[in-house]
Amino acid sequence: MVDFSRVQKELQECNRDINVSGISVNPKSDNLTNLIGTIPGPIGTPYEGGTFKIDINLPDGYPFEPPKMKFATKVWHPNISSQSGAICLDILKDQWSPALTLKTALLSIQALLSAPEPDDPQDAVVAQQYLKDYQTFASTARYWTESFAKTSSLGVEEKVQKLVEMGFPEGLVRSTLEVVGGDENMALEKLCSG
Amino acid sequence: MEVEDCMSSGGEEDYYCSDRDSLDDALENEDSDSQWAPPKGSSSKVITKESLLAAQREDLRRVMELLSLREHHARTLLIHYRWDVEKIFAVLVEKGKDRLFKEAGLPMLHSHDLDPSVSTCTTMCDICMEDLPSSEQTKMDCGHCFCNNCWTEHFIVKINEGQSKRIRCMAHKCYAICDESIIRNLVGKRHPDLVEKFDRFLLESYIEDNKMVKWCPSTPHCGNAIRVEEDEFCEVECSCGNQFCFSCLCEAHSPCSCAMWALWTKKCKDESETVNWITVHTKPCPKCHKPVEKNGGCNLVSCICGQAFCWLCGGATGRDHTWSNITGHSCGRYKEDREKKSERAKRDLYRYMHYHNRYKAHTDSFKQESRLKETIKEKVRILEEKDSRLRDFSWVTNGLYRLFRSRRALSYSYPFAFYMFGEELFKDEMTKEDMEIKQHLFEDQQQQLETNVEKLSKFIEEPFDQYPEDRIMEIRMQVINLSVITDTLCKKMYECIETDLLGSLQFGIHNIAPYYSKGIEKATELSITFHANSCNNDKRQKLHAPITTNGGTSEESDRPSGSGSSEESGFSAQKRARKDGHGRGMFDLNLPADV
Repeated sequence: MVDFSRVQKELQECNRDINVSGISVNPKSDNLTNLIGTIPGPIGTPYEGGTFKIDINLPDGYPFEPPKMKFATKVWHPNISSQSGAICLDILKDQWSPALTLKTALLSIQALLSAPEPDDPQDAVVAQQYLKDYQTFASTARYWTESFAKTSSLGVEEKVQKLVEMGFPEGLVRSTLEVVGGDENMALEKLCSG
Repeated sequence: MEVEDCMSSGGEEDYYCSDRDSLDDALENEDSDSQWAPPKGSSSKVITKESLLAAQREDLRRVMELLSLREHHARTLLIHYRWDVEKIFAVLVEKGKDRLFKEAGLPMLHSHDLDPSVSTCTTMCDICMEDLPSSEQTKMDCGHCFCNNCWTEHFIVKINEGQSKRIRCMAHKCYAICDESIIRNLVGKRHPDLVEKFDRFLLESYIEDNKMVKWCPSTPHCGNAIRVEEDEFCEVECSCGNQFCFSCLCEAHSPCSCAMWALWTKKCKDESETVNWITVHTKPCPKCHKPVEKNGGCNLVSCICGQAFCWLCGGATGRDHTWSNITGHSCGRYKEDREKKSERAKRDLYRYMHYHNRYKAHTDSFKQESRLKETIKEKVRILEEKDSRLRDFSWVTNGLYRLFRSRRALSYSYPFAFYMFGEELFKDEMTKEDMEIKQHLFEDQQQQLETNVEKLSKFIEEPFDQYPEDRIMEIRMQVINLSVITDTLCKKMYECIETDLLGSLQFGIHNIAPYYSKGIEKATELSITFHANSCNNDKRQKLHAPITTNGGTSEESDRPSGSGSSEESGFSAQKRARKDGHGRGMFDLNLPADV
């Protein structure tokens, strides 16, 4: 049986200082075994500005067995599967300790976003790109953040639409947007400067 | 008549003529051998379920004494270092105590404060986040304190995961191994059956993680394990009667090395040479897929099923053909390497067949001779009933055992020779000439042994119980003489293999079990009784141990601990005040395996 009173406390604890950490955990439904965690993309990384949702599933043995976590938001990162969102992180596997909490696990995932470990990859394609062509990696990651992790701003399609309406060809708009990481204004600047 | 033939014809050249003296020696030897006991100083031990704890005592005690540790810490250390006490000593010398302990997950016994004053106020357990009185919490040796419920839950999960041997503290990044007595105690309150499982894992670590101890490979499993001393390349007999090679757990196969034996059994099993021959010499019929061998003539072959096909490409064809071509069919040309390949395969097959036939013949003889045991008993019984001056018939049984022993050696010497002088293993290790010389040397010895083994067999199979006394005396002399000879020859053959053949190789992966005249060593039951000298050790310990009180408290296992002095020598007095004091101190070693 999951220790629900501990989970309850963890949620309270975590959501209390949400303004400081930006990390929150909320139940998906009434049932406390399926939760959704959110972490802000770390500042100074291609994930900055994004909000990442993480699917959390608590096994019966929680907290004596590690929680199952995966990204619900698509993310471009060497240790996270670009397909499934699976996370390669030791504390979610054999290095789990009951003294860790959902919040500490999410903090570790956040730390993983700022410090990828391409030598122990989950997604080989991303890891290869990270090692061989960091620039492309960073812009792709930024583009993905822009496209999938930002709910408040306009969607990519809308930006494309907007720029195309200004008179730029669609193919060029799309590639420019990707290069600048989805930033509409930067793309416009670039398109104008030629 | 037969006996005389044999003695007069083969006597001089093939085995040593015995003069009176040497025969007397032989007689004396045989007398002393008559019990067929394991060789003197039998070092391998049978470890049963009951003696498993006793078997570990010595290792535990050595580590406990050297490092002034309590038993469960010594066990943690031994499990980590795979029960290799020498290794522990080496690491201690090389890296020091701190590193030794740290690597094994042993808490630094001096690095954390052991606050004996148990505070009565409530504190929060970091796992369940409940406020609980400290009486419901337990502090592990590493200093981390959590509530009993959480500890229990953690232990249960780990035991069920099969991690009993290495249950770590719950704190993040703490690699300390938890105190087994605390685990036992807490888990026992909820799941006594799990404690049993836990204890079994700990106990069996001595077998599972120890290269000098292995389960007897008998099927159905006898439940025993065998421990050897010093040399793991040996052959042993378990008390269940199963004889095996300790190193590879297959049947005893010396003088074949384990690697050779593995190759040989595989080869025999898939009859790879036959398969080779079939692939090289036959082609499957395109219609019925039976292998077809071409027995001459042109390249148009017709299968027994009536299908005609081209021998060169294996494709189905019509039946019209001339000597040089088949109507409406053309395919690739004759290839030279195919011919070479077939020659090579043929030669390899003949070579394999030669060795395999010999091996098989001797193995079969061995099986037949095993049946002799009963008939020999019968013969001896008949002889003993006769009123004669011959009273001692131990020479018969001794001769029979000698026959078994040397027959075995002989049969396994063939697979050995197959690999030793073949191209598969040692082609690059010696020159062709070198190999030839060695092969002659070996075969010479093998031949001598073979001749004498056959003779011994012949004499033993004689219906001597029907013979007059003087002929029995003759046979007796022959059997005794031949027993000594075959024994010597076996010894020499093993020596030759060990030193001249395998010993000269650069890559020493081929080790063979040594030859013992008396046969495969019978492992003796490990006695569970405690040795006198270890009691002395305890006394000695008691003498220079400081006077202490027994610190065991409620958390303790309720084993009698004999005295409080067992673990003291290296600890300061305050350390003894901790909760989980004297659970299974040294004196527990005096107890029989009760877990």
